[in-house]
Amino acid sequence: MKKVLVLLLLAALSLSLTNCQRGGEPAGGGRQRIALVMKTANNPFFIEMQKGAEEAAKRLNVELVVQAAEREVDVEKQMQIVENLIQTRVAALCVTPSGSREIVPAIDKANKANIPVVIVDTRVDAKALSESGGKVATFIGSDNYEGGKIAGEFLAKKLGGKGKVAVLEGIPGHETGDSRLRGFREALKATPGVEIVASQTANWERDQGFNVFQNILQSHPDVQAVFACSDLMALGAVEAIASAKKTGQITVVGFDATSEARGAITDGKMEASVAQSPAQMGALAVENAVKLLKGEQVNAEFVVPIKLITKENAGQ
Amino acid sequence: MREIRKTFPGVVALDGVDFGLRRGEVHILLGENGAGKSTLMKILSGAYQKSAGRITLDGAEVEIRNPAHAQSLGIATIYQEFNLVPHLSVGENIFLGREPVRLGLIDRRAVNRRAAEVLNGLGLSLDPRRPVKGLRVAEQQMVEVAKALSLDARVLIMDEPTAALTEHEIKELFAAIRGLKARGVSIVYISHRMEELFEIGDRVTVLRDGRSVGTFDVKETNKFELIRLMVNRDLTELFPKEHAVLGEEVLRVEGLTTRGGLKDVSFSLHKGEVLGIAGLLGAGRTELARAIFGLDRLESGAVKIKGETRRIGSPRAAINAGLGFLTEDRKAQGLVLPLSVKDNLCLPSVDKFTSLGFVDAKRERRAAERYVKELRIRTPGLDQKVVYLSGGNQQKVVLSKWLCSEAEVFIFDEPTRGVDVGAKAEIYQLMNRLAASGVAIIMISSELPEILGMSDRILVMRAGSVACELPAREATQEKILECALGE
Amino acid sequence: MRARGIELRRDFFSHYARQLGTLSGLLGLVLVLWALTPHFLTVSNLLNVAEQAAIIAIVAVGMTFVIITGGIDLSVGSVLAFAGVVMAEALHKDVPLPVALAVALGTGLFCGLVNGALITLGRLPPFIATLGMMSVARGTALMFTEGRPVSGFSGGFRSLATGEVFGIPVSVIIMVGVYVVAHLVLTRTKLGRYTYAIGGNEEAALLSGVNVRVYKAAVYGISGMLSGLAAVILTARLNSAQPIAGMMYELDAIAATVIGGTSLLGGEGTVVGTLIGALIMAVLRNGLNILGVSSFVQQVVIGSVIIAAVLIDMWLKRRAG
Repeated sequence: MKKVLVLLLLAALSLSLTNCQRGGEPAGGGRQRIALVMKTANNPFFIEMQKGAEEAAKRLNVELVVQAAEREVDVEKQMQIVENLIQTRVAALCVTPSGSREIVPAIDKANKANIPVVIVDTRVDAKALSESGGKVATFIGSDNYEGGKIAGEFLAKKLGGKGKVAVLEGIPGHETGDSRLRGFREALKATPGVEIVASQTANWERDQGFNVFQNILQSHPDVQAVFACSDLMALGAVEAIASAKKTGQITVVGFDATSEARGAITDGKMEASVAQSPAQMGALAVENAVKLLKGEQVNAEFVVPIKLITKENAGQ
Repeated sequence: MREIRKTFPGVVALDGVDFGLRRGEVHILLGENGAGKSTLMKILSGAYQKSAGRITLDGAEVEIRNPAHAQSLGIATIYQEFNLVPHLSVGENIFLGREPVRLGLIDRRAVNRRAAEVLNGLGLSLDPRRPVKGLRVAEQQMVEVAKALSLDARVLIMDEPTAALTEHEIKELFAAIRGLKARGVSIVYISHRMEELFEIGDRVTVLRDGRSVGTFDVKETNKFELIRLMVNRDLTELFPKEHAVLGEEVLRVEGLTTRGGLKDVSFSLHKGEVLGIAGLLGAGRTELARAIFGLDRLESGAVKIKGETRRIGSPRAAINAGLGFLTEDRKAQGLVLPLSVKDNLCLPSVDKFTSLGFVDAKRERRAAERYVKELRIRTPGLDQKVVYLSGGNQQKVVLSKWLCSEAEVFIFDEPTRGVDVGAKAEIYQLMNRLAASGVAIIMISSELPEILGMSDRILVMRAGSVACELPAREATQEKILECALGE
Repeated sequence: MRARGIELRRDFFSHYARQLGTLSGLLGLVLVLWALTPHFLTVSNLLNVAEQAAIIAIVAVGMTFVIITGGIDLSVGSVLAFAGVVMAEALHKDVPLPVALAVALGTGLFCGLVNGALITLGRLPPFIATLGMMSVARGTALMFTEGRPVSGFSGGFRSLATGEVFGIPVSVIIMVGVYVVAHLVLTRTKLGRYTYAIGGNEEAALLSGVNVRVYKAAVYGISGMLSGLAAVILTARLNSAQPIAGMMYELDAIAATVIGGTSLLGGEGTVVGTLIGALIMAVLRNGLNILGVSSFVQQVVIGSVIIAAVLIDMWLKRRAG
C-alpha cells in the first residue's frame, strides 16, 4: 500500500514539474524533426516512399520520424499517431491520409499547434477541408485520374476496341482509388466496344485480389482483361489466373509499378502497370517541408509525373 | 508424518498433525468437515506443500514436491471426483501418460492386455476396451484403483470412496480393499460413515480443528467415543427429532404430471411438518422437487399455496410463493462459488434490500451477519468467497439463503450428503428449529435412518408416483423398502 | 476489535490487490516513459492519451459485463460501425441531435439484444452468436452505405468529441461518466449482483430466482448500446462514419478487460480494472509513438504486455487462493 502511495506522489510531483517545462525544445542536437505518417509500413509502395524520404532527410540534415498504423484503412489509429506526434512537437508533418475526409480533424489539430502539413499521395477531400477551415501547405502526388485514364486507353488499344473487362477497386471512398477508377472509366467511354462486366472491391489487398478475381472468373469465364487499382490486387489476380491455368490469356493492368509488378511484366504475366514514383514523392515531401520551415514559399501542388510501364521499359 | 502444519493466508488448516501408517493396514481418517483431512491428504499426495513438520517413508525423510513425485514414491490418491477421461477406454485411462509404445505408436494390444492383468488381480472382469463414460460409478472407481495399482502404489489414499456407491457395490469395494491389504498395500481411508469404519478399518485417527486428537485400534473403540472426540461434545442421540405442533396446510400438490416422469402426484403439507420422501434412485423424487420449484413444466396438476392455486413457472415465482430449494449438489447448483458469503446469502432476496434501484449494502451485511451468527457459519468474514468454506459451512450458507428469503416451505434434497456427523446433527437441529417456527419441510433422502428419524410423515415414491404414505410412527425400514420396490 | 481490524485489512487486500497490481503496472509504465521522453508526462499529452483511450475504454465496459457473465462479445466493432453509419445518415437527414444520439444507442442496443436473444432463447454459445453478428452488422453497414463513408457533420455534433469543458475533452468526460455509472451498476444494483452470479454459477443463479435469460440478454444489450455510444464519439472525432470502422476493436476491448483482471471464466472482474487496462494500452501506444518505435515493434510490445499482465494476474490469484 505504502509503495503505491509513494508512486502516486512521485507521479503527481513529476507531473507538476514537467508541466513547467512544457514547450521545451526538441531533442536531436538542434536538428529539426520532420514526421512522415504513412498509411501503412508493410506495402511496397510506402516502403519505397519511406526510402525516398529518408534519403532526402539525410541530404538536408534533418531528423525524420516515420510512423504508420498497422492497417492501411485504420483512420482512427492514424489520427492517434498524428496527435501523438503533435505532442512531441515535430516541426513539420507529412501525411498520406488513410481517409480523404477522416484526416481533416487531424489536420485541424496540427494547424492549431502551428505545425505545417504536407499531404502526400492521397488528396484531402476539398469540401471537408474548406468546411473545417483547415489548411494544407502543399500536396505532393500523382494525378491518379490521369493514371487511370492512361491505363484505360492502353487496355482499349490492347483489346482492339472490343472485349470484356473486369475491375478490382480499392476501398470505396478512397480518393486515390476513386480517381483511378474514374479516369479508367472515362477512357473506356471512347471505345464502346470495351465493356466492364464486373467491378468489385478487393480492399487494396493481395489475397482479396486473388479471391475476388477467382470469383469473377467463375461468373465471367470469358473475361479478357482486368484492371486493378493497385499492383497488390493485380498480383493477386495474376495468381488467380495462374491457378485457373489461364496465364497469358488475360491481360492484367495494375497501378503503382512496384518492383514485383515489374518482374511480372517482364515475365509476361502482367501486361502493364501505371508508374508513380513513391520514392520521389517521399523525397519531395521532405524537401518541401524543409522549405516551409525556412519560411520559403512552396507551390500548392506538385504533380509527380506518371508513365506506363510495359515490357519495353520494365527493366529501367 | 510428524507435527505437520499447513497455513493458508489467514487460516491455519493444519496445526500439528501426527499420523502413522503401517504396512498392509487400513487406516481410517476421521474428522468433521474442515478438520483438515483433505488438507492432510493433499500434502501426502503432493498437491500442497507442508508449511512445517516431517514426513518419513520407510524410515527415510522425504520432501514430497508434487503429485508426480508422490506417485514415484508409491503414493497414489483416489479423489472423490475421479480423474478419468470419459471418452477414453478403461485401458487407456489406466495407462494414461505412460502408454506402452511400439514403433512410435501406442501399442493398443499391450495396453489392453496389461490392463486386463491388473483388473483380474482385483478380481474384476471389466473389458479394458470399454469407454469409461459408459461405466457405473463403482466400476469407474475400480478403474481408479487399478490405475493406482498399475503404478505399484504402496500407499493408497481413498477419499470418501463409498459416497456414491450402492450397498452391493460397497461390498465389492471392500473385498478389493481386503485383497490389497493382503498384498501389503497400506490404505488411508477417509470416510464419514461410522458403520464402514468398523467393517473395514484396522486403526482410526481422529482430526479436530487441524490437530490429531488420537489414534485407536478400531476393535478397542466405539462409535460414541469417536463422535465425542470428533465434535468434542456428546451426541446422545443422532436424530434429535422434536415433533412440532402442526399448523394449517401451507402446500397442496394435486395430480402433478410432468414430461420428466412424474405421474399424478398428490400430497399436502402442514406448517411445522417434516415430510420425508423416500424412494429408489430414479423414482422421481428430485423431479418432484424440480416441478414444485418451477424448473420443469407441468403437463397437468396444480400447486396450491395456503389454499390458493399458484402458477409457478420459474424459480423466481416459486421463491415469491415462499418456497426454498436446497439442492442435492450444492457446489453445482446451490452456490455461486466465486462470490462471497454475503452475496450468496442475499442472492434470492436482493429485491428485499433494494431501494431506489440500489442494493443497500449495510442492510445486507446486517442480515448476513445475523445468519452467520445464528447458524454458526465458520468463516473469516462476510466477504470470504464461499469456495473456501468447508462442506458443512457451505450447506449452512445455502440454508441461510432461504431463511433470508423468508421461505415457508423448504425442500431439502439429500441435506446431509457429504456432510460429517457433527454437521449432520447441526443440520437436524436446524430442521427442528425451522419446524418449530412454523416452516414446513419436504426432505428427500436416500438414507433411511434419516427419513425415519426426522420425518413426521413419509411418502414413498416409485416410478414417478406416490407408492404409499406412512405416518412416521408406523414406518420401518422394511415397510419403506417394500413400498419402494413394489413387492 | 483487533481481529476485526485484521479482517478488514485482509478484505481490502483480497478485494483490491489485483487492481493495485495493474495500477502499479500503469504507474510503472508512466514512470518509464517519463524517464525516456520529456514529451510524455505533460498535461496536454495525458489528456491526449485519455481522449485516445476513451473509445476502446467505453466498448470495454460492455465487454467487461459480458465477460463477467462468462460470455464474450465479438460483435462490438461491427456494431460500432453499423450504429455509426445509421446515425450519420440520420444526421444527414437533419434530425435533431438528441434523436440522432438515440438512434446510435438504439441501433447498438438492438444488435446487442439480438445477440442476447440468440444466446438465451436460441441457446447458441456466445462466441458463435456474436461472431455471426460481427459479420452481419459489418455487412449491413457496408450495404447501407454502399461501402462509402458518411461524413461532414455540424459543429454541435462534433463538439461531442472535440469540445472541452474546463480544458477536459468532452469524450473523456463521457468516458468517466460511463465508468462511474457502470461501477455503481456492477457493485450496487441487482443487475450487477446478478451479472456476477450468472457468471459464477448460472445454475445456482437460476435456482436462486435470478431470471437468467432476461439479465443475460440485458448484459449483451448494454454491450451493444455502449458500442453505439463509442460510435458517436468516433464519428464526431473523425467527422466521418465509416462502414469499416472499429475493425479489431473487439480484440482491444477484450485485451483491456483481461489486463484489468477480469477472468474469461466469468464470475469476477471490475470496471475499475478495465479502465486501468484500457489506459495501459493507450499509454503504451502513445509512448511508443512518441519514442518513434515502428508499428511492427509496437505490436510485439503490446502482445507481450497482454500476456505478462495475465500471467501476473494468475500468479497473484494463486497466491491469494
